[in-house]
Amino acid sequence: MFDSLVAANILQRPVRALVSVAGVALGVCLVMLFTGLARGMSNDLERRSSNMRAEILFTRPGSKELMTSTVNLSTRYVEELERIAGVEAAVPVIRYISQGSRGFGIEQVEGVEWAPYAAMNGMRLIEGRAPEGNNEVVIDETKARNNRVGVGGEIQIFGNRAYRVVGVYSPESGARIKMSLAAMQDALETPNKCSYVLVKCRDANEQRVIAERIDAALPGNKIQFTNELVLNIEKSIPYLGVFLRTLVGLAAVVSALVVMLAMYTTITERTREIGVLKALGASRGYIISVIEKEALLISFLGLVIGFAVSFIAGHLIHRTYGLVFEYGWSWALTAAAIGLGGGALGALYPAMRAAGLDPVSALSYE
Amino acid sequence: MRTILKAENLQKTYRVGSVDVHALRGVSLDVEEGDFLAIMGPSGCGKSTLLHLFGGLLTPTAGRIVIDDEDLTAVTDAQRTDIRRRKIGFVFQRFNLFPTLSADGNLRLAERIHAGSNGAGNAERRREVLTLLQLEDKMHHKPLEMSGGEQQRVALARAVVTSPAIILADEPTGNLDTENSAIVLNMFQEMNYRFNQTIIMITHNPEAAAMCRRIIQMRDGQIVAPNVAVQI
Repeated sequence: MFDSLVAANILQRPVRALVSVAGVALGVCLVMLFTGLARGMSNDLERRSSNMRAEILFTRPGSKELMTSTVNLSTRYVEELERIAGVEAAVPVIRYISQGSRGFGIEQVEGVEWAPYAAMNGMRLIEGRAPEGNNEVVIDETKARNNRVGVGGEIQIFGNRAYRVVGVYSPESGARIKMSLAAMQDALETPNKCSYVLVKCRDANEQRVIAERIDAALPGNKIQFTNELVLNIEKSIPYLGVFLRTLVGLAAVVSALVVMLAMYTTITERTREIGVLKALGASRGYIISVIEKEALLISFLGLVIGFAVSFIAGHLIHRTYGLVFEYGWSWALTAAAIGLGGGALGALYPAMRAAGLDPVSALSYE
Repeated sequence: MRTILKAENLQKTYRVGSVDVHALRGVSLDVEEGDFLAIMGPSGCGKSTLLHLFGGLLTPTAGRIVIDDEDLTAVTDAQRTDIRRRKIGFVFQRFNLFPTLSADGNLRLAERIHAGSNGAGNAERRREVLTLLQLEDKMHHKPLEMSGGEQQRVALARAVVTSPAIILADEPTGNLDTENSAIVLNMFQEMNYRFNQTIIMITHNPEAAAMCRRIIQMRDGQIVAPNVAVQI
């Protein structure tokens, strides 16, 4: 089975072959994990945003972005918004963003008046009751499952402050942890303030007309439609697309360099063997093809291992930190192209160098 | 007898730094089909250069080489490689087998290169050649699992498995003890006598040369004794 020169060469130097395979696998992992995380988080945010039934988000300019939130909007706007024709309900929300409870990623917490908020967004408690006290929260099903915490359990927010879970709600919408608006105002020392007001229209088809009315009645504020909030994480986070493409480029360079280094060393070690191949009448094309096949076999193994490690790592990170990974075919194909293409390209220079060796010098190489 | 190799006024000059080194100074030679020729001479006399020119591994500075009706000096590098692939078999002093491949694997590699894109190897032919060289029980052994003599017989098998017009052997017994040298030389002789295989062999060993049909002596890049016949 291993009388093939390509397979036998790889088996002759197993450690170097493994290092090369690991290099390619690293490139594939980089692409798969980062793009899988971006896609997973984007889809997760989209899913949760799509469950929001309010049509309009009313806030101060610059007070709510994807990764930041300030509490600078007076809650007195709620009454004024409810007086505008076509508005069915207005609910104030504070959104707080902090580092994840396990020191990884970010975590959002919302302060809401549970009853009107749940009624507006079609949410229900599937276990326990609504948050009332200053140290009580409700969480969604995903949070309960990922953190293995239920009613009566505790979670820490705002650093190391303990909050008791008093209810679990469904479906997931917005932040996964919610406390009462008063409790959040108290915790952040922002009485009578909120981050934004969710506005539900009597007729969803009239949201643009109602938005114009709000703008006319309360000028100088920011009015956003909730269905446009998180269309795509790549558009929401500036330069994420550039970052991902740079990462893909770096992964390709890493794969190509590792394979090139390995094949270059191989060629140097096998100079005499290349001389023998030439003496046997092997053409330049034959010698290049032998080296390229070896590089492609290494790259293919790296690809398989890279995919396997990406899926396992994504699963473990999800279980440990709750981060969502979703792998797409297009990025998987990109990773495959990087792994194989990088390997083939990396081996090309050593292969051409080998093919161009002087046979007599190669045969006398020590 | 047909002339299978014809060399006319071969010259080879190497440039070493700013000095020209004349390795060959006008060598002319005819080798008939079925000949078993020994090339002898002191180190540095141009024997290996001549063998490399015959094998198309080097190109002459001047002169002409015709092998089996193909002019090796009037073709491109790729065409020369192709002629080597089809018509030449090499046996080296240091065996030069692929250490990662078995004896059979080494022969199969030679077959694959010889066949190009025209097809797979011939297992029956490989077995026949290895049996002829008394290596049938070593087919699946790797070079490092064999003695020097056995390795050189595998190298000879690799050279003949593709039925080349000429075998070029560069001191094939140089790394062998007396017993193994005798075995390998007998194999060369058998190839020549039984199959009319043309062989050109460089050697320093007079006993090895004595097993050939004729001997040429070289000195200072020239043939000084062109046709010393050997009585066998």
